[in-house]
Amino acid sequence: MQQTTTTPAPAAAPAKPTPPAPPPELQEGAIATMDGAGLMGILKDPGSSEFQKAKACVRIGELGVKEAVPLLAALLTDEHLNAYARYGLEPIADPSADEALRAALGKLKGNLLVGVINSIGKRRDAKASPALVRLMRGPDPEAARAAAAALGSIGGQASAKELTAALPKASGALKMAVADAALICAERLLAEGQREQALALYTTLSGPDTPRPARLAAMSGIIREETSTGRPR
Amino acid sequence: MIVPSVVLGQRAGHVPPSDRILFGGIGIGGRGAHVLSKLLKLPEAKFLAICDVRNERRETIKSTVDQNYGDRDCRMYDDQFELLARQDIDAVLIATGDRWHTPLSIIAAQHGKDVYCEKPCSMSIEESWALAAAFRRYNRLYQAGCQRRSGANFALCKELLNAGALGKLQTLYANVGPSVNWPPIPSRDWLAGEDPPPKQVLDWDRWLGPAHWRPYHPSYVRGGWRNYYDFHGGGILEWGSHTVDLCHWAAGYDHTQPVEYEPVGGNTGPYSVNCKYADGVKLVMRDNGWEGALNTGSCSFRIEGDLGWVETGDRTTIECSENIRPLLRPTEPASLALENHVKEFVRCIKTRQQPSASAAAAANSHVACHAAFIAFQRGKTLTWDPARGEFTNDDVANRMRARSLREPWRI
Repeated sequence: MQQTTTTPAPAAAPAKPTPPAPPPELQEGAIATMDGAGLMGILKDPGSSEFQKAKACVRIGELGVKEAVPLLAALLTDEHLNAYARYGLEPIADPSADEALRAALGKLKGNLLVGVINSIGKRRDAKASPALVRLMRGPDPEAARAAAAALGSIGGQASAKELTAALPKASGALKMAVADAALICAERLLAEGQREQALALYTTLSGPDTPRPARLAAMSGIIREETSTGRPR
Repeated sequence: MIVPSVVLGQRAGHVPPSDRILFGGIGIGGRGAHVLSKLLKLPEAKFLAICDVRNERRETIKSTVDQNYGDRDCRMYDDQFELLARQDIDAVLIATGDRWHTPLSIIAAQHGKDVYCEKPCSMSIEESWALAAAFRRYNRLYQAGCQRRSGANFALCKELLNAGALGKLQTLYANVGPSVNWPPIPSRDWLAGEDPPPKQVLDWDRWLGPAHWRPYHPSYVRGGWRNYYDFHGGGILEWGSHTVDLCHWAAGYDHTQPVEYEPVGGNTGPYSVNCKYADGVKLVMRDNGWEGALNTGSCSFRIEGDLGWVETGDRTTIECSENIRPLLRPTEPASLALENHVKEFVRCIKTRQQPSASAAAAANSHVACHAAFIAFQRGKTLTWDPARGEFTNDDVANRMRARSLREPWRI
């Protein structure tokens, strides 16, 4: 039934110019269906191209091939393949992946280091906390921000203590990162049933020294928690 | 002291400057410019700043904005952090490539900004949840560019369902991107590398942003990034972020996702994913061609109850079962949906009410799309636990819930 007669009919699917085609050497092809052994073979082969290694890393991550951890770890120093290696490492549910990422902290600088810190945060590897605290207090501002974020993601009372201590000493972008990490840490504490500790963290963040968006977020957190029907009475 | 009446907002139609919502924009291309055109019409909003990694786009948007306001106030940035650091900016319009949507939206929330972001809002299940969590954490407002929620024809279908005219809900149909335009599984290949242009023209590293490194090719930058896995979620995300979202909105499923996903078909030709919610209602994501089998237009959706059915799309016509026809009424032109959606966002910024396409609602509909996308890639029926946020019958699928971001980006 026609309700509106004034609406022009939308254009049909626009004719698309023929897009450029990937050359054969840059097509994933058989890599998409390889098993773990085949994918590791690509990473071991010195003749494999950057493209082949990149694709193998991603598929290894999807398959969760823990035997590939050392091969992936070796690519963390590669400017182009670092992120692909982390794509492989991040989903592997084996402590060896954590160990590999932790070991890389001392070998990398700049963005590659930041990427590894981000992966550690994503995996919530609490064993990395001492190293992350050092990085948060260190001279590299990008690494410090990433380390703060990772500590927030890891959560727990130990992270809360470190982030609370770091907040008044930090400034600028690092202060924002520490405050954001502390907000996430408070949410982790709430999720783990540590309500008092979470509220204490929110209260700390509600002070005038906290960047305004995070300060307001902390206040919202207190209100949300104190007015929750599930709160202790 | 004499104060001009315009400052006090005493002239009819004038909004005092202090009451205006101040906007910035990041990554405004063709689609973003369309959204911006609606924003520029609103006297209660002013667009002050544009950020883009492409210089010609910055200048095009500045020119458009300055011409609209008759001034030269629109500032240009090539670093999003500089724009977001401006204390005077209340909200940002994000219309970058899909890979940037979640990270930039979260960074904007961390800077205290409300966000209108084009769809799809996320590149993965993990990003969808992170987006919703960030906007809840910072108590900021988010309007997904799911403007059909503000379209009268779509709203009438929802109203008919909610009023009971269709009876008990049986099946929802969401038309997804036709495979001839966007295959359900995008390519993981690379194009042959070419020399990138000078950084001041295009900074390839920053264009890639959180997406993984690959050699430069101009096709990506011209819009050819679509249909490549690192940048795009395929046909399901391309339209499902609208139509699955409509189904959730109409049926009151903004808080949940289907529990089962059965992929049907291949990467060429018609395809579908048959889904089921915990209450037994079905959701069919289907490639039904560009205009839909009933010619209701692009991005159409259909609701079937045990008493009747309705279907509508971008043509705004509503097809329905005979018993429903007497209940239909004239709707509005499709173009008003976007205008209404932008207006709603600006109104919500003032009232602090949640917009209709909030981050939480968008997260749920996008998770459904991502889950279907993963089922299609896995080529098997997947079962999903909405409470735990995980697949219950496939470890590989669970590992595909997240994509790592290129350094230094994180969510």
